Amino acid sequence: MKLHEFQAKALFRDYDIPTPQGELASTVASSIETANRIGYPCVIKSQVLRGGRGKAGLVDIVHSPEEARTASEFIFASDWKVRRVLVEPAIDHVRELYLSFSADAPSGAHLLLASADGGVEIEELARTAPDKIIRARIDSIRGIMPFEARALAYDLGLDPAIAKNFAPIVEKLFRLYVEKDAELAEINPLFLTGEGSFVAADAKLSIDDNALFRHTEFQQEDADFDSDIAREAAAEGIPYLQFDGDISLMCAGAGLTTAVYDLVVDFGGSVANYLEFGGPNYRKSVRAMELCVRNKPKVILIVTFGTIARADIMAEGIVEAIGRLKPTCPIVTCIRGTGEEKAHEILRNAGLTPLIDTEEAVRSAVALSKGGRP
Amino acid sequence: MSILIDRTTRAIVMGATGSEGSFWTGHMVQLGTQVVAAVTPGKEGERVGDIPVYHTVRRALDARGHADSAMLFVPPRFTKDAVFECLDAGIKLIVTVADGIPLHDALQIRAAARASGTTIIGGNTSGIISPGKAMLGMFPYWIERVYKPGRIGVMTRSGSLTNEVTAMVVRAGFGVSTLVGVGGDSVPGMRFAEVLTALELDPETDAAVMIGELGGTMEEEAADMIRSKAFTKPLVAFVAGRHAPQGKRMGHAGAIVSGGKGSALDKIHALQSAGALTADRASMVGTLLAEALAHRASPRGITA
Repeated sequence: MKLHEFQAKALFRDYDIPTPQGELASTVASSIETANRIGYPCVIKSQVLRGGRGKAGLVDIVHSPEEARTASEFIFASDWKVRRVLVEPAIDHVRELYLSFSADAPSGAHLLLASADGGVEIEELARTAPDKIIRARIDSIRGIMPFEARALAYDLGLDPAIAKNFAPIVEKLFRLYVEKDAELAEINPLFLTGEGSFVAADAKLSIDDNALFRHTEFQQEDADFDSDIAREAAAEGIPYLQFDGDISLMCAGAGLTTAVYDLVVDFGGSVANYLEFGGPNYRKSVRAMELCVRNKPKVILIVTFGTIARADIMAEGIVEAIGRLKPTCPIVTCIRGTGEEKAHEILRNAGLTPLIDTEEAVRSAVALSKGGRP
Repeated sequence: MSILIDRTTRAIVMGATGSEGSFWTGHMVQLGTQVVAAVTPGKEGERVGDIPVYHTVRRALDARGHADSAMLFVPPRFTKDAVFECLDAGIKLIVTVADGIPLHDALQIRAAARASGTTIIGGNTSGIISPGKAMLGMFPYWIERVYKPGRIGVMTRSGSLTNEVTAMVVRAGFGVSTLVGVGGDSVPGMRFAEVLTALELDPETDAAVMIGELGGTMEEEAADMIRSKAFTKPLVAFVAGRHAPQGKRMGHAGAIVSGGKGSALDKIHALQSAGALTADRASMVGTLLAEALAHRASPRGITA
């Protein structure tokens, strides 16, 4: 679960990591008024979860009320559906650094990345001058040690007086990253001021969804979802992605659903939604089909090959769903795995044609979506 | 032979008293797995079928003697604790099926596995099976068109695609020596490269099938194994997610495309350039396998 910049910065302050003193505004008028109060120059930053907002012109430094108006109007009128901006004083700085923690799967360690040349071009730098980015593995069982933070400061080439201010930032960010179960904690840019202190000009935090049970303080906002259907699916615990094509995928298992997506595109079709009702959700056929039907797809394509997810129970659910929802589009079923003989009987009795080959099922669905015969 | 488990493996099962745990423990025994004890805190004295239950792993081993392996039917939030309990008792092979292990727990589990030389399979997997011999996990081995014993090693990140692809291996006339579900999480306890090391050493495995997907670097590591000749048997790979839109998360925590790296196409390219055969579709896996093995068997087939 990604957090907004203003949420991440509030957490930074809880962990004593300095940030600019900003305020939120949700209209053009309040954005200008906030800028006036904070004083110029200040920065107006759209609060969106998608990356690339800077390059889209949704982060602006402004020097006057007129500029604040132009920037705010542009941001709120953009097609990024911006609902809030963070208005912050512009911070004088002499250098921009980069600092992050994330997971290093092969070693089972935390990965510390840092550079003395941070900023928006960090990915470009990673490609063109990889030696300018320091990578260190932090033992996940022991945690970070003060010497590791010190070593990083000196390896970045910071002066001893400045290094003394930098190392605590590293340790504090690590503590936040671990205590909040983050999959990513990133400061880019981290400003070095003329006085030798550090300020987090930006903040990125993504919390591990699997650990949300121990962090009830984080709640996803409705507006963070791609669609109402996506929000309802999430509330139901059903993995769902919104697209805008013709075929609703109602499949079991992330791998199989992804493979079916590939086949649909290979065979010239398009996907309306990705929905996965396997594993713990295999008894939710009715709810799953209801979500699919709301996309008004041309075809619903059901592909499963389950182990724990019993085919017969899924088939019963599908027949019940058809009875209740009476979908007008054709439904292609390819249900296999534990209990498949009984499943096929149930489907046949309901007038469906159970297929057992995935490719045949996908070809049939693509043909139907184009108005042809299966 | 097979890798990791066979008829001689002595296993304990944690969480065998739950409904899913007892169902699959029964099937593990039915297939021929030696399950020597079950562990559920608070339930010592009970039985799961003929298997006695103990409060702790240590008490189980004290009463029943040595165990090589542990099967964990333990919810994700308790998995780290269960894994460390097994490590503490010196168990060298641990399988955890839990789906939803917190990332930082998974990192510590992986780090502990490396530090102690333990093999930890999972989470978010169906486990491991050597068809006809033994199983630590949840596989419908009674479906003969999928779980036929044979000489092909299969390793997979996806439970649902396992049946899909393995059915194609069997349809082409082959069978499976051992199937290892490394799992769909971003930080699995055992990685593809480590499975390949075991398959390379197994005299009764002729070739490997890898079921991969977008995200992470495990497929690239497998390609490196081929390039460095650490794995010399034929490898047929199927990688799901060729058309996955960038930045969308396709269910598995590991399946995140970032900056083009770790995309299915990158992986396919890495594998091809290392000499692996790649199947665009599951249905092609069997044919490619037959091709690779025929090529290998006939000396005339080995050309530049």
